[in-house]
Amino acid sequence: MHEHLYIVAYDIADPKRWRRVFRLMKGYGEWLQLSVFQCRMSRTRHAELIALLDGIIHHNHDHIVLMDLGPAEGVKPRVVSLGKNFEAIERAPIIV
Amino acid sequence: MDEQPQQELPLPFPEFSGDLPLMPARMVNEYQYCPRLAYLEWVQGEWADSVDTVDGRFKHRRVDRPGGKLPPADALDEGDRIHARSITLSSNRLGLIAKMDLIEGDAAAVTPVDYKRGKRPHIAQGAYDPERVQVCVQGLILEEHGYRCAEGMLYYVESKERVRVPLDDELRALTRRAIDGLRFIAAGGQMPPPLEDSPKCPRCSLVGICLPDEVRYLRQGRIEPRPLAVARATALPVYVQAYKARVAKRGETLEISIDDKKVQTARLIDVSELVLMGNVYVTTPTLHELMARGIPISWHSFGGWFMGYTQGTGHKNVELRTAQYRASFDEPTCLRLAKGLVAAKIHNSRTLLRRNWKDDTLDPKHLLDDLKRDQRHCARVDSQQELLGVEGSAAARYFGHFDRLIRASGAEGALSFDFNRRNRRPPADPVNALLSYAYTLLTRAWHVTLGAVGFDPYRGYYHQPRYGRPALALDMMEPFRPLIADSAVIQAINNGEVRPSDFISAAGSVALSPDGRKRFIAAFERRMSHEVTHPLFGYRVSYRRLLEIQARLLSRYLLGDIPDYPNFTTR
Ligand code: SF4
Repeated sequence: MHEHLYIVAYDIADPKRWRRVFRLMKGYGEWLQLSVFQCRMSRTRHAELIALLDGIIHHNHDHIVLMDLGPAEGVKPRVVSLGKNFEAIERAPIIV
Repeated sequence: MDEQPQQELPLPFPEFSGDLPLMPARMVNEYQYCPRLAYLEWVQGEWADSVDTVDGRFKHRRVDRPGGKLPPADALDEGDRIHARSITLSSNRLGLIAKMDLIEGDAAAVTPVDYKRGKRPHIAQGAYDPERVQVCVQGLILEEHGYRCAEGMLYYVESKERVRVPLDDELRALTRRAIDGLRFIAAGGQMPPPLEDSPKCPRCSLVGICLPDEVRYLRQGRIEPRPLAVARATALPVYVQAYKARVAKRGETLEISIDDKKVQTARLIDVSELVLMGNVYVTTPTLHELMARGIPISWHSFGGWFMGYTQGTGHKNVELRTAQYRASFDEPTCLRLAKGLVAAKIHNSRTLLRRNWKDDTLDPKHLLDDLKRDQRHCARVDSQQELLGVEGSAAARYFGHFDRLIRASGAEGALSFDFNRRNRRPPADPVNALLSYAYTLLTRAWHVTLGAVGFDPYRGYYHQPRYGRPALALDMMEPFRPLIADSAVIQAINNGEVRPSDFISAAGSVALSPDGRKRFIAAFERRMSHEVTHPLFGYRVSYRRLLEIQARLLSRYLLGDIPDYPNFTTR
């Protein structure tokens, strides 16, 4: 049940669908930049997200890729980030 | 093959009466996979998702759309073709109901087609027994409705292959035995034992609930448990204690704002519980969403006092609650559980003293010996009253020396905490205030865990269920007070995470400031995520997950699955 880090990038042809995908993605990861998210997910979550995305998009017009960066715990993903820092999602309780 | 003639319930079955719900055909599949799985799901209402179940639902979604028609058998004419999707049929005689993905055929015979995720397995019979049995059940139900049915079909979505399943006598007999077996366990109220060291368990979505290896180990002490139940829980609590905060659902996230300014968002999938302290505003749609997702919300006063919690419709496992109540009326069982809990608490208190002793001027040997004696004494008491006395004197010894675990004053950044003895309401000094606060957090953690496992947190064995106290949560937390709460307090003080300036004192009582509280909650949650080696099972597990495992083991004990409740102690 170990989690992996993913980069999810999408190209959605229709603005309405784009918004739905964006809203869904916010529930699964952190917005990185235009149409790109960073997610930290178990295999189960991964399967869930794919199922949900698949239900939204139009297979002939849209395109989504999910890239696996490897285990989220302990492994530092090899990412070059210019301009801003890339920080992998940590798992911590939220205390406000 | 040399088939052992085994006892069978004679067919035909008695008709199912209106009172008994029809069993889904999928349960026969589960039964064939593992009788315990069918029991957990059907009788106890347990459910957990795994990759397989999520992906299975996804792969099924297309066939779930109804389409085509299934004319009644006697209305079929020669030459009529049948192609009907997502048809639900039941049979009272079999006591089963099945949703069939696809039915094909004509007046001569129909074929149920069942969709399976994954690839066709390469084995002699073309498919595994649970899947063959499931499609056979569909065939039997179709026959009950007057159709002729000589074979079923399994369609494997990933490899796009069909496998024929002839409904021969052997398969029919196997299927009938499975149906009988399922009805028998459903009626019998006795949970079947777990499979032995089976390769099926790691794939089973209920493995964290069933605890197959742990139960086997506690029954027979033979096999070393595999760390199957340890899978890290990925969701974590969200605490809101800021003054005038507001929590609202936004899409798939919770948004927390203060004075209409967004300060934090939390993805709903990452939230295990919502903890609200003080005057926090939550919208109704948020409450609905949290209840629908089974995320509990606990409510506390601003000072941390636990006032209650909100949960959806609750757990379906009535059997467990019945067993919990039944045992609570049985004095010997109560005493036995209470003794074990108190002995484990004293053991763990002693370990904490031994490991964190900071005072070089005093040798703790006598103290540790005395505590050892208290611990042994627990086994010999024969009333709860007497046990209370033993616990009291052990606690006096323990708290009498608690300040020797706190780094001496004068050390950089760490100012001294004065602490002489435990006092509670209201706490009169910072250490007592921290301890009280930590116990509140731990009570909540147990309360929520017990509720999620299917217990009623208010009826216990050692604590009396009076004055609205969550007695079972208090019972279960006894051995964990030193390990989680006291330890978090010591760490927070010794690491300088909370300082004397974090306390506000008024009229003889002392309370944490909001900021200090925030840092202390973080220290407590870090302790909850700390991993320890389980002394019985040998694997490493976080305290967070351990609470759930212990709660499930208690349920296994109360339901007669294991001979005793194994308390958790550290070395
Ligand atoms: S974990 Fe193993 S024993 Fe337990 S229900 Fe699943 S398959 Fe059966």
